[in-house]
Amino acid sequence: MKPLGVGLVYWPPLDPLIDRAGEAISVLELEPEGLWEKISDGCGGWQYRENTTILDRLASLTHAKLLHGVAHPFAGTTPDPIDPWPLLRHAVERLEPVWVSEHLSFNRVLRDGDVDHAGFLLPPPQTPAAVRVAAHNIDAYRRALARPVAFETGVNYLRPNDGELDDGSFFAMVSQGADCGILLDLHNVWCNERNGRRRVAEVLDCLPLDRVWELHLAGGMDDFGFRLDAHSGLVPPEVIDIAAEVIPRLPRLGALIFEILPEHVPIVGLDGIERQLEDMWQLWSLRHPVEVSADGCMGERAPNVIAGADDMAEVARVEAELVGRLRTGGRSTGDDVAADPDPGVAALRELIADFRRGSVARLLHYTLTALLLELGPRGTRELLDAYFQAHPPEPFAAVEADHFASFLRLRLAQLPTAPFVEEVLSYEHALIRATTYQESTELHWSADPIQLFEALDAGKLPGAVPAMSSRMLVRAD
Amino acid sequence: MAELNPQPLPPGGGQHVRVYVPADVTYDLAKMQKVTANVLGRLGCGGCHSGRILDFVTLQDYVVHPQTLEVQPVTTPQGT
Repeated sequence: MKPLGVGLVYWPPLDPLIDRAGEAISVLELEPEGLWEKISDGCGGWQYRENTTILDRLASLTHAKLLHGVAHPFAGTTPDPIDPWPLLRHAVERLEPVWVSEHLSFNRVLRDGDVDHAGFLLPPPQTPAAVRVAAHNIDAYRRALARPVAFETGVNYLRPNDGELDDGSFFAMVSQGADCGILLDLHNVWCNERNGRRRVAEVLDCLPLDRVWELHLAGGMDDFGFRLDAHSGLVPPEVIDIAAEVIPRLPRLGALIFEILPEHVPIVGLDGIERQLEDMWQLWSLRHPVEVSADGCMGERAPNVIAGADDMAEVARVEAELVGRLRTGGRSTGDDVAADPDPGVAALRELIADFRRGSVARLLHYTLTALLLELGPRGTRELLDAYFQAHPPEPFAAVEADHFASFLRLRLAQLPTAPFVEEVLSYEHALIRATTYQESTELHWSADPIQLFEALDAGKLPGAVPAMSSRMLVRAD
Repeated sequence: MAELNPQPLPPGGGQHVRVYVPADVTYDLAKMQKVTANVLGRLGCGGCHSGRILDFVTLQDYVVHPQTLEVQPVTTPQGT
């Protein structure tokens, strides 16, 4: 197997760069669940729907492909209540990735018998039981997708726990226990060092470096006392230096991938990303020119360690305890956040609230703009906090926005908002429900909706819009 | 009723969201279609990250016109 080279995580705003870059991008990594929607199955349950347009576009490109899961991490004990395997397998069939990867994290727990979404990729306990659970999950993923599997070394904002394995030893034991590859995320391990965990050099010294098939490089930001892995910009020079030091030590390195979230692409610019890729090719030239092999990592044999029921129960208990600490106190901001001895818990609470506010702001853009204009930032945040108290996180933005819209509709009469806010909310909610539940909605406008939207786009209240009654039907078919 | 679109659902798959209005409405149907496409274009999942998601902060501080990407400061009520 030939090494794949340098590339990036695919998002549609990067299309112009991919089209013009030629051989400067030799591999594309797709986050499959990032193209999914969670929709009603028509029988009271849920199903996933993929974005066939983007999948077709990617399949038509001649670049090497990798798949990087973001919703079925390896360290969890609670399976996805919606069957993800048909769409994951379909992505593998269409893109033929050389290997697939996922996070060594968890994102859901069981609470009173129901699946409770954590709202974030959370760090697992670093114990021998968690090693066995992760090895079990990696083996199941490998068998289900019939591809070599690597796990990503995750970011961890929590303080190290006495009695737990250190970061490098934990990663090493999982890779050896599962007999799998490692996706070494250098920005993550650098963030961990900056946030008070193990030094990068110590982590690298513990890793079986011949299992590192892929490196992730990314940028981030400093906020509320932490270095955050936000994928919000270019790779910091310190991380470039670490990459230059470690790459010659990786005999089976197959790909060097740059990660940036699509909302930050306009800020960095396509030219800036292109220059970043040029720097990464310089790094790539430091690697040993050997063939990459994932032999022995295809799941022909059982993992080297076996997870028992006791392991599952122990890890599930610790993970549920962390989710409980994140929920305690409820409010994401303000003075009454319940004090937790670990400052990382407060950081995670804020990051989860950020994620949730982001989902609502994206999907109910005009409604949130109207609320900000009418209630102000503090009033709008208080409204969102009240919603977060009442409803657990929902990983899929449209479902989160549907829940918030339903919550808001019950409270709108008590809020000092103009009548047009309800009409804008009803319109956006109708579009979400048409896509998510295939529901039809008849709407009534008392004013020209275009004048309302143009005012909101300009960051202004609509003012005196002449009355103009009209009906509108939103239908999915 | 006149049909404003069809708007393809973002994930494709042969389904559509259709928006119908009476034939006699006097507002700009082309602009309404763009607004509808903008809302539907934001559906879908977020990507891999372990840091801040700034959509709300951005919206709070600025309003970005979705077509021109011009940034306008939000005019908020006094004292909030």
